[in-house]
Parts: sequence; structure tokens; C-alpha cells
Amino acid sequence: MLITSIGQGLLWAPLVIGVFLTFRILDIPDLTTEGSFPLGAAVTVSAMIHGQSAIVASLLGFLAGCLAGWVTGMLDTKLKMPSLLAGILTMTGLYSVNMHVMGKSNVPLLDQQVLTSYLPATWSLDFQTIVVGLGVTALVMASLIWLFRTRLGLSLMATGNNAAMSAANGIYTDRMVILGYMVSNGCIALSGALIAQSNGFADIGMGIGTIVIGLASVLVGEIFLRGRQIWLRLTAMVLGAVIYRYLLTVAMGLGFPVDDLKILSAGILVIVICLPLLRNKLQTKQQLKRYLKQIGVDQHATTSSLKRQAPTEGLLSRNGK
Amino acid sequence: MAVIGNNGAGKSTLLNTIAGTLPVDAGELRLADHDVTHKPVAYRSRWLSRVFQDPKMGTAGELSVAENLTLAEQHTGSMSLRGFRHKGQTTAYRALLQPLNMGLEDRLTTQVKYLSGGQRQALSLLMATLSHPELLLLDEHTAALDPQTSRQVMALTQKIVAENHLTTLMITHKMSDALTYGNRLVMVQDGQIKLDVRGEEKQRIRQEDLLGLFAD
Repeated sequence: MLITSIGQGLLWAPLVIGVFLTFRILDIPDLTTEGSFPLGAAVTVSAMIHGQSAIVASLLGFLAGCLAGWVTGMLDTKLKMPSLLAGILTMTGLYSVNMHVMGKSNVPLLDQQVLTSYLPATWSLDFQTIVVGLGVTALVMASLIWLFRTRLGLSLMATGNNAAMSAANGIYTDRMVILGYMVSNGCIALSGALIAQSNGFADIGMGIGTIVIGLASVLVGEIFLRGRQIWLRLTAMVLGAVIYRYLLTVAMGLGFPVDDLKILSAGILVIVICLPLLRNKLQTKQQLKRYLKQIGVDQHATTSSLKRQAPTEGLLSRNGK
Repeated sequence: MAVIGNNGAGKSTLLNTIAGTLPVDAGELRLADHDVTHKPVAYRSRWLSRVFQDPKMGTAGELSVAENLTLAEQHTGSMSLRGFRHKGQTTAYRALLQPLNMGLEDRLTTQVKYLSGGQRQALSLLMATLSHPELLLLDEHTAALDPQTSRQVMALTQKIVAENHLTTLMITHKMSDALTYGNRLVMVQDGQIKLDVRGEEKQRIRQEDLLGLFAD
């Protein structure tokens, strides 16, 4: 069960990394995810049915995702729309695009060679999945680690952190935001391409709930691995994806029907958002108690007024780490 | 050049127009012989630097001191695919930060959000002048600091501006600063220039004279 989760988690890892890019680096919750994930799947499966190899088809899926990100980026920066609305618009439009790409709502792969077919057939399916997932994820991670060592990557990080300051230092922030959307949705679509190949079909509804999966995995990953270096943060994302898959597999093992997985996903997201908040609150309370004991103040007289000041770090804000 | 004026007089509008955050209705804006009337903020930054009033605005809090300095070092090439760390950087940055006397030279890898307001503003100031701009805009850049730090940053400003021979436009609410620093004083009221004195004439002006003008 754990082995299967690792394999599946690695296939989902590019999606989590994509969500991380917009959510943490650019500080934007990007709903395009829900459309670009099935777009990647649709483009890849269609390309494979039309005779492209799995590698070319997956690359096409990635590029299609970049294009979707470009649209959201243009809506956000050039047409000055709120980023949430820009994402919703692209996501809605992509539904029709995906239908046109696929021709019908569910397209199965027939006997086409998928990425795992390149590996020796004697290996077990789980092992094949892990190797493919690990390869693709490592490629994505290596490219991003390289990117964030360049001046361009630094400009991207600065834009997400303080756009006014970045512009004042000569960074064309609109371009950076668009680029961020493109890379992010490219990764998300790539994940869609992998999942479609693993499932053996592309489905119009496979994007539903992916943003929740992505956000929950980002937060789960950050609970387990914290740090400032980009390689550590990206590794945390992969870890988050795997752990999240494992949680879902365990839930299914407990007898949850597949239809209930979405509400379970939402529930997990709520829990991982609340846990650190509760933990912080508890810690602040204990610290306060200890402090008051130290200075010998009557606790009951002061806690009620001091409690309000207890700082609870916002998990969803970048600065709250 | 120091710009003073009461609230709503148009000081910030003037500054934002020059910086490019406010669009121009009419007229032309030239920076070092380049027409920048309708150019974006990033384009203007080749000739222009700005220190904001809020210390948080001038630096990227999540990035380290060294990374912030790298951003400020060159205002072009922000899309470059070259690595941003290079040999000798640490030594060079330490040498830059040493004269600030704020202990920043030992905190190159610290995230800027952990610095104090005074340290952040001093860093902003250094960053703004690192690219040797043709024009330096100071937007009440000591207003958010306590009196002592404010004096310290003002002295630092004076030093850096003098050393680099920078043309500087400073907006301030502190009349004493406006009188002490700079060789030209402009007073704005209701969007119009009410007083424009320079050189020796500026030396003769006293705070009472300015207060009298404000009252009109």
C-alpha cells in the first residue's frame, strides 16, 4: 500500500510543485490548476492516440499547460483582474477546450506505449511507476533548482515577495508573474499527463478538486520539512504529495467509497490549515502562563486581556512562517 | 532638493508621478534626456531610485540581505539566466555594509524581515544608491523611524548623497530637515509651487518664515 502511494505521489508531485510555485513563490492562489491538469491529460492522450510517442505527448501536455498559465497571467497582469477571478475564468474556459481536444468526455488509451512501457516488462507495475515518477520529478526539481539560482529566479522570488520594490529595482513584474503562471501550470499539466498514462484514460472531470489536493499537499509537506533553501522546499513538496496519497489510500482502505474522497480531501485541507494554528495558540498560551508565573502576576486577572494579543501566525500568508 | 508642504498639497503626487506609479494627465517627463512620460516603473529605474516611507516597502523581506543587494546592484538583466551568486560577492557586500555601522555586514544571509526598521531603511538607502542613479527619490524616508534612528539614517543619507554626488529629491514633513539638508527648497501648496529658493537664499530662510507661509 505504501509502495503504491509512493508511486502515485511521485506522479502527483509535479502538480504540488506547480501549486507551490504560484502559491508560495508568487503568493497567488491559482485556480487554473483545475483546468490545466485535465488539459495536460487531454492533450497527452490525444497526441498519443494520433501516433505521438509518450515522451513527445507528455511534453506537448506540459506546453499546453504553459499556454493555459499564460492566459491566466495575461488576465491577471494586463487586464488587471483579481488573480482568483483570472484563474476561475481560465479554468471555466478550459472545460470547453478540453472537450474539444478529447472529442468526448472520456478517452481511453488503447494499446499505446506509455512512459512506463519503456521500462523492462519484468519489473512490477508499482516499481515502474516509481521509476517514471522519480525521473520526471527529479527533472522538474533540477530545472527549478537551477532556475532559482539564476538572476531570473531571484527576480521571480522578489516579485512574489514585494512587487513595488521589484519594479523599483528594474524588474518587469508583469512578465515575472506571467512566467510564474506558465511554469506552474506547465508542471500541473505534466502531472495530468502522467496520471492519465497511469490510469490509462483522460477524463473531463479529473481536474475537479486538484487545487485542494495541491494546497493540502503543499501544507502537509511544509509541516514535515521546513527550510529556506529551494531544494529543501521542493523536496518538502514531493514528500507532501506522497504523504497525502498515503492518507487517501489509508482512508480508502478503511472503507471510504471513492465518491467520498473529495470531501475527505477538503477535510484534510481544513485539518492541515488548522493544526499549526492550534499548535501556535497552545504554545503562546503556555508561554504566557510560564511568563506570568515568572513575574508572579495573578493569572486570572490578566489572561483575559492578554489572550487577545496572542499572535497566531497565519499559515496561509507567506510571512507567517 | 527638499520638498515640503502640508497634507494634500501634492508632494506625494509629484513624487509618484516622477517614479511612475501615477499616470500623467498632461505634460512631459524627462529623465537624463530620456522621455519617460509613459514608461513603466521598471524602465525608469535605469536612472531613478526610490526609498519608500515604509521600511518594509524598499526591501524584500523573505530574501536575504545579500539577495536584496544583488537585486539592487544592476537594474538591468533581471531576466538573465546567469547565476546570481558570484565569487567575491560576500567580501564586496561586507565592504558596502560596513560603513553603515549597523552590524549588517555579519548578517548577509539573514532574511530581511528579521531586521529592525532602522536597519531595513539603511539597507533600502544603500540599495537605492548602489546603481548610481541620476535621480534619487526620498519619500519621507525617516518618518516611520524613532527620533534617534531617524537622525542616524538622515546623517547616512547626507553622507551617501555627498559621496556619490547624487541629485536627490526629498519629501519631508520635518521643516528642520528641509532647512538643514540640500541646497534647494520647494514648498508645495494646493498643487502649486509656493516657494522655490536655492543656495544662499535658502540659507537665510528660518523655520518661522516657513510657518508663516503655511498659515496663509
